[in-house]
Amino acid sequence: MLWLALYCPTSDGETASLPEASATRPTTLPTPALACWAGRFTPHVNLAPDALRLEIAGSLRLFGGLPALLDLVREDLAAMDLSAQLAVAATPLAALWLARAGSGNANEVICPDLPATRAALAAVPLAALQLPPPLARRLEGFGLRRIGDVLALPRAGLGARLGKPFLIDLARALGEIADPQPWFVFPEHFEQGLELPAPVEAAPVLLFAARRLIAALAGWLAPRNAAVRAIECLIDHGHGVTTAVPLAFSAPVYAPQRIERVLKERLDALTLSAPALALRLRVQEAEPREDRSHALFDGGEQRHEALAELMDRLAARLGPQAVQGLACHADHRPELASRASRGPSPRHAPAPSLPPRPLWLVEPPEALRESHGRPQRAGPLALVAGPERIESGWWDGLDARRDYFVAVDNEHRWLWIFRDSRPPGGWFLHGWFA
Amino acid sequence: MNSSLALVLERTDIRRGDAFAVAPAPTLATGFARLDAELPGGGWPRGALTELLTEHGGISGIGELGLLLPALAALTGAGQAVVLIAPPYCAHAPAWAAAGIRLDCLRLVFPSRPRDALWAAVEALRCGGVAATLLWLDALFRAQLPANSLRRLHVAAGEGGGGAFCFRPARLAAAASPAPLRLQLQAQDIGGRLQVKILKRRGPPARQDILLDIARPAGFLQSVPHAVAGAVLPDIRRRNRVAA
Repeated sequence: MLWLALYCPTSDGETASLPEASATRPTTLPTPALACWAGRFTPHVNLAPDALRLEIAGSLRLFGGLPALLDLVREDLAAMDLSAQLAVAATPLAALWLARAGSGNANEVICPDLPATRAALAAVPLAALQLPPPLARRLEGFGLRRIGDVLALPRAGLGARLGKPFLIDLARALGEIADPQPWFVFPEHFEQGLELPAPVEAAPVLLFAARRLIAALAGWLAPRNAAVRAIECLIDHGHGVTTAVPLAFSAPVYAPQRIERVLKERLDALTLSAPALALRLRVQEAEPREDRSHALFDGGEQRHEALAELMDRLAARLGPQAVQGLACHADHRPELASRASRGPSPRHAPAPSLPPRPLWLVEPPEALRESHGRPQRAGPLALVAGPERIESGWWDGLDARRDYFVAVDNEHRWLWIFRDSRPPGGWFLHGWFA
Repeated sequence: MNSSLALVLERTDIRRGDAFAVAPAPTLATGFARLDAELPGGGWPRGALTELLTEHGGISGIGELGLLLPALAALTGAGQAVVLIAPPYCAHAPAWAAAGIRLDCLRLVFPSRPRDALWAAVEALRCGGVAATLLWLDALFRAQLPANSLRRLHVAAGEGGGGAFCFRPARLAAAASPAPLRLQLQAQDIGGRLQVKILKRRGPPARQDILLDIARPAGFLQSVPHAVAGAVLPDIRRRNRVAA
């Protein structure tokens, strides 16, 4: 067993140096959201009042060793704008004490095995144990400052003077007796929120706070090997007023960066009706991840990912109806034969061989003047192919009976026009052969 | 030759006036051998902006898309994506499919505001997952594109490395542009061919225009087409009367 403890000091003295960031910086206490984030590294997470402990022995190989894993943890903490003291030890209690005793990145104590843990514990000051005040005073009275001082004394005598619980804790920290920990139970449905320390007026600023929730979501998805297609971001204005920002993705996503970029587009375009007080992220439904093999040379997979992300971002900023695919539909009426498709259209069956069709369709058809029996559009049009009779739709009320021609105008532009055979008749421009 | 001068001439970003520039990225075959021969690198440039100028504000019916269709069909055939930004009309799926374009590789973006259109264009050009981007931006901007926009588009195309084709009105032919390749397209009177005038390329000025046979919806066009119309029309009228 190897334990990584993240000790989150409750005093946030150092945040005062960054007034801008501290406005959006939520409290630093470990929350269920933080525990969710830790799910990225291991399913065994213990949530204590002032620290988060991760059992990482089983994860080392996956993440490429302890230093690589710790680098990832530090990177994530920095991205979430969280400060936490790290420590690694062979027992959960030792990890917690070492983390509490540490100060700053330079003093991180990393003990990959039990002997190293025991050696490191000797130097831990007794204050890090956060003992009850009477016990702490007695130890101080004995002239004991560090755990090493205590361990130098005979155990049996210590037990008689200081009580059994203290001895048991020591034995647990040293790995002499087992120390089972309650695991954090990952929620079945993801819904995590955080209070903003100060009301936020500008929507884009919320992204900083949202980063923690997105990291939590990514951690929650990881042990389930799941991905999401839709996320709901709720901005709480107080007094029961909330703004819902739904995020939709064309393909299931699980990478936090991708979710963040789409959320950024939405927030950039959003104007808050009232200052935001809290933020909440909710996932209605998670689905299993589709894992595909990576190609070695082609890079097609990365291109596909990049395109999907681009489409999500465009849809987030321009609205979902502004980004379309194209699909054929089996109908003779041209205006119904082509459909905008949301999301990737399936690889369709080959279109039936039809007479030439224009690339652009003018919708609704533009009425043309007729003079001397010939359609006019800035001069007479010359008909070069046709007629093609299209008659269909008596069953759905969009009845059409038209004779289509390919026409060329004075400027050699190629048009697709039809004459309506039903009253009141007339010529119409329906497409351009571009 | 001076040895330092020879060194300078070896650089890929320096070219002599009488030779084509070395294309920074592999080009995209146009599907027209005569056009390929006139373009630096032998095809449509990738990672650089290409301007296609036509009458009627770049939204013309003279076959300006027909010029790109062979290249687009080749791209989508290989599973690469093509994005249309602010197309002027509804795309008619059966026609695109008939032109050999794989529809599942095609994406259409309809921005409603000019600012959004420019943003979407830059994002699409910068995206490595898009093999070609077709732009119709001038219709959205009432007067014309802001001066620095084209440069932004060109730089974005350089980042993404895909083809970038901007359809623009022919009246801008004399205007300055950062696009390294500018073609003016005109329909020809006879035969329905497309006349391509190379306004600008990274190479010696083009001596003469190129005539291309673009895929047309109908056969050879008569020089006096009104005769055809006259022949067809009464015929239909008669048939309608019979049907009635």
